Amino acid sequence: MAAMVNWLVFLFGLVCLSAAVFEDQAGKFDWRQQYVGKVQSAYFDSQTQASKKLLVATEQNVIASLNSRNGDIIWRQVDKTGPEGHIDTFLVHGQDAIAVSGNGRLLRSWETTIGGLNWETLLDTGSFQSAGFVGVQDSVKYVAILKKTAISLHYLSNGHQKWVENLPDSETVQYEVVYSGGSGLVSVLGVVPHSHLTITTYNLEDGEIMKQVSVEALWLESLKPGCAVVRDGVLVCADPASRSLYTLKLEEEHEQEMRQVLLQSLDVELSDGFQPHVLATQPNPARHPNAEFFLQLGPDHHILLQLGDDAIAPLRDFQQNEKALRNVEMESWGALLVSFATTGEKTVAVVMSPKNETAYSINLFSADSGRRLLETTTTFNHDPNGGKPERLYVHAFLKKDDSVGYRVLVQTEDHALIFVQQPGRVLWIREEALAEVVTMEMVDLPLTGTQAELEGEFGKKADGLLGMVLKRLSSQLILLQSWMAHLWKMFCDARQPRSLVRNEVTIETLARDEFNLQKMMVMVTASGKLFGIESSFGTILWKHFLQKVQPGSSFKLVVQRTTAHFPHPPQCTLIIKDKDTGLITVHVFNPIFGKRSHITPPSLGRPILQSLLLPLMDQDYAKVLLLIDNEYKVTAFPSTKRVLQQLQEMASSVFFYLVDSDQGKLSGFRLRRDLTTELIWEVVIPTEVQRIVAVKGKRANEHVHSQGRVMGDRSVLYKYLNPNLLAVVTESSDFHPERSFVGMYLIDGVTGRIIHEAVQRKARGPVYFVHSENWVVYQYWNTKSRRNEFSVLELYEGTEQYNSTAFSSLDRPLTPQVLQQSYIFPSAISQLEATITEKGITSRHLLVGLPSGAILSLPKMFLDPRRPEVPSEQSREENLIPYAPEMPIRSEWFINYNQTVSRAKGIYTAPSGLESTCLVVAYGLDIYQTRVYPSKQFDVLNDDYDYMLISSVLFGLVFATMISKRLAQVKLLNRAWR
Amino acid sequence: MLPRSTTSLFCVLFQALSAVSQGLGEFETVSVGAPVNGDRFRIEGRAVVTDIKPHDWVSTARVLVEGEEDHVGFLKTDGSFAVNDVPSGSYVVEIVSPAYKFEPVRVDITSKGKMRARMVNFIKTSEVVRLPYPLQMRSSGPPNYFIKRETWGWTDFLMNPMVMMMVLPLLIIVLLPKVVNTSDPEMRREMEQSMNMLNPNPELPDVSEFMTKLFSTKGSGKSGSSIKAGKSGQLKRR
Repeated sequence: MAAMVNWLVFLFGLVCLSAAVFEDQAGKFDWRQQYVGKVQSAYFDSQTQASKKLLVATEQNVIASLNSRNGDIIWRQVDKTGPEGHIDTFLVHGQDAIAVSGNGRLLRSWETTIGGLNWETLLDTGSFQSAGFVGVQDSVKYVAILKKTAISLHYLSNGHQKWVENLPDSETVQYEVVYSGGSGLVSVLGVVPHSHLTITTYNLEDGEIMKQVSVEALWLESLKPGCAVVRDGVLVCADPASRSLYTLKLEEEHEQEMRQVLLQSLDVELSDGFQPHVLATQPNPARHPNAEFFLQLGPDHHILLQLGDDAIAPLRDFQQNEKALRNVEMESWGALLVSFATTGEKTVAVVMSPKNETAYSINLFSADSGRRLLETTTTFNHDPNGGKPERLYVHAFLKKDDSVGYRVLVQTEDHALIFVQQPGRVLWIREEALAEVVTMEMVDLPLTGTQAELEGEFGKKADGLLGMVLKRLSSQLILLQSWMAHLWKMFCDARQPRSLVRNEVTIETLARDEFNLQKMMVMVTASGKLFGIESSFGTILWKHFLQKVQPGSSFKLVVQRTTAHFPHPPQCTLIIKDKDTGLITVHVFNPIFGKRSHITPPSLGRPILQSLLLPLMDQDYAKVLLLIDNEYKVTAFPSTKRVLQQLQEMASSVFFYLVDSDQGKLSGFRLRRDLTTELIWEVVIPTEVQRIVAVKGKRANEHVHSQGRVMGDRSVLYKYLNPNLLAVVTESSDFHPERSFVGMYLIDGVTGRIIHEAVQRKARGPVYFVHSENWVVYQYWNTKSRRNEFSVLELYEGTEQYNSTAFSSLDRPLTPQVLQQSYIFPSAISQLEATITEKGITSRHLLVGLPSGAILSLPKMFLDPRRPEVPSEQSREENLIPYAPEMPIRSEWFINYNQTVSRAKGIYTAPSGLESTCLVVAYGLDIYQTRVYPSKQFDVLNDDYDYMLISSVLFGLVFATMISKRLAQVKLLNRAWR
Repeated sequence: MLPRSTTSLFCVLFQALSAVSQGLGEFETVSVGAPVNGDRFRIEGRAVVTDIKPHDWVSTARVLVEGEEDHVGFLKTDGSFAVNDVPSGSYVVEIVSPAYKFEPVRVDITSKGKMRARMVNFIKTSEVVRLPYPLQMRSSGPPNYFIKRETWGWTDFLMNPMVMMMVLPLLIIVLLPKVVNTSDPEMRREMEQSMNMLNPNPELPDVSEFMTKLFSTKGSGKSGSSIKAGKSGQLKRR
């Protein structure tokens, strides 16, 4: 027993060494970028002048604090995903940030300096409408929450509820706005569409209804976004139908009517598609709002208005008109985005207007008079490939000479945040689109010019013997020259301190390194923005925003041509499928530079069901992509004559499968010579019992080095390596814990033959699985024992191979032997992937993303169905670990140490030029890139290789021989004299 | 281990008549996957890292229930936490933090809202080892993410068995003649006797002598003649 334990410990030690990170390696070749997601609302911490905090709430249900000097995250809190964690409202007052989330379920207050929770209150159920601070006597003490049927008031200090009142007639009235002007009253405004407006006013102290007024408003449909409260409690509403503004005093005692002001009387030009939007400002919740407000009249047209005692006065019209464009002297600004900002007692209106194609200018105007403030113009350049600005957040502050200075945070359509400081300096840009990476690929970098020239030499036809020799010599000379230059650079770098060396990677200096460890990461995000990120430092080298992508589209990225075919540029194709129509658009681009390719993508009129990349190449070395539409017709891309001819020849050996999870049907097709298809098999999994959750084949670029495993008795167990095998995962339709199950079918994709079927009873999903070589590893939840379990299936042909030269699905009479074993995994998982290497010699590890954000590198050795319960001599010879039900999780196996990846949505693995090394990218809310060595670095010297010791020992030995030689000579001489 | 588990079992037995064990019966039937249209409960507790103020680590930590994002709790600035809206069932509650390690705890909630906490045991899932509720999660310190590099030191070199095997005889050879007084004739005689006993055949050449001669031949070619003669003489003697 003791011997076994010893042996186990030894094995653990062995394995542990192969997966862990050394402390000095941290940050050496790995990096992490943290994101927060698309910003919903942002606040500047304006408590002190020097404050550099920015508070944001995002659509990814994240609340974070950013450093406004450099854009780094100070702290970040990640709530649950989906509508349950959705942040309804985010308000900031002083040190506290108040967030209502989960459709008004939870009210939380955050401490803004360290990011801890102050308090958390559970609210009553009911759909959330609005929230606002309530103040009395110049200090903000409460927060009011308006729901569909009730209003509640909570203390800001501890979250306790002061009172809650049901709203009258909540079945008919839709309550939308809560308003308080610091007078000890809270007003709730509601609308009965196309009928009337109700104003219910509550006493702040006890929640007693002070007043209930109903005003007729037949034209009014909703209070948002066409209404706002300005001045001393006057409601201003814009009506697009009658082209007029209505005003109503909220705190008036007697019954009244809304006063109408025609927009024409204000001398305003109106465009046809007038969608009014009223923007007012209330700098302090304990006081009345300002009397000035913006009214949006068109997409580029805003007007600043002021509500006086008895009339509305226009202060300034912001419109980009034709006259102004021609006449430069005439001051006129179109207003793309407008905002108010307050510092001290001063309120300014901020207007952003397009200057030309690539630049925008921002100007400040005095809110009281509409006059432009001098020396406040900021002009900043913006990438025309990016999205247009969408939101504007302004932080105004008073300078020493009492003039107003400001900083601006601009949010664009493609989720980027741009922070601009006067006079037009872009301090930082955050690409928040990267918080939602959907799919990615890693592409080899191109060779340098000299290397490419050398390569090109072999391709060309000979110019005669002498010419070839001369060419060879000249290219060798060039190589020597570049090598000398490289050495010189290394020497110069070595003299400088290490921190300065970090060489900048630009698109010009991009070149493949000697082990192909540095690659280009092409990332596709849900917003439709594409990124090219260089993998060794994480620098974004190019970005491209696809304007027309609908939200919710699905993406598929394929590499049609790699960098290996110089001088043809590499080519990537992105297939974007619309969620509703199923129609696709194809974007073809160069993955290294991000430029759109000149090749015209195929035009497709019908929804596409499946796409597959054939190993077949056209004359330009681009792999052929087949697209199958809903009438089972096939379109080839590229579709040159030669490709079509090749396709016709190969047609009988091109098979593909389609999955219809709604009907539970898997069907296999074969391509015909005329590019139509024929159905050759169909497997129906009845949807009443179970539904297909996922189908996965093997990776196309996977290599398997050894065909079999040598067993303890020196016989060989051959692996069943079927490249056409599909792993189909099903889940039961019955969710009852006693009857639910998870099914795993292994189906041959060519013949439709079910090779194996495994059912895990009393189990449910979500199922994460990896299908590779001759094994499938999957993870499920055991409902009976309430734990996560891993199961592994391995397929073997047996001790003899049927046909060792080629595999054919049509000619395999013997069914494989299937071995299976299951283990307990002591944690939930969020992602599962396997490492991959160039030649498949290195042992495999599973990369398991854990909910904590760690990525566990679990040796496949632990998931081996041949692990014996009782170890024998033979199993020991094979290095099989004795079976243990519980799988270990050790923090040394976390490849990302403390650099956790929140909400890991995918782990991408790619082989590098070194057989020992696998490149790993984990993405989710964060992006993390690293290298793993599943069998240690057996093909390169370790970083800790002790050059000093080796050289000192060598020198020492040489020295010692010299001395001893001398001594021996002296001795001999002495003896001869004796 | 055995006495401890029996005591905890006793704990349960004592309360067997009350709601807890009834609740246990219900755990088997109440489904975890399907939403239960019942009351929702709150799991409360406190996380403590010894000698570290909560201010320094709470912003990076979260409370996860059953490892999924269905129920998430955040830590307050004093280290306490509450997870709201949890339906009845049995859950593993854990605090995830990149900086500190916490042991997970299993929390059982009956349909009436009775709570109890016990140790997580995935192999014997019904075993009950009680833990205090509200939860007290004490960190066992920062996790060890890195492994130590094998550093090269003199002690490693010297403690190597091969080196020991070489060095110890060397020491004996060098030191022993110094310790034993060789000038004493009595002692010398004694030694010679013992040497003769060890070397029963005086005819055989001394190995050490042979070796030195062999090496000195290689070492110097100039004065080789005399040695060559010696060598041939030895061979003849053989």
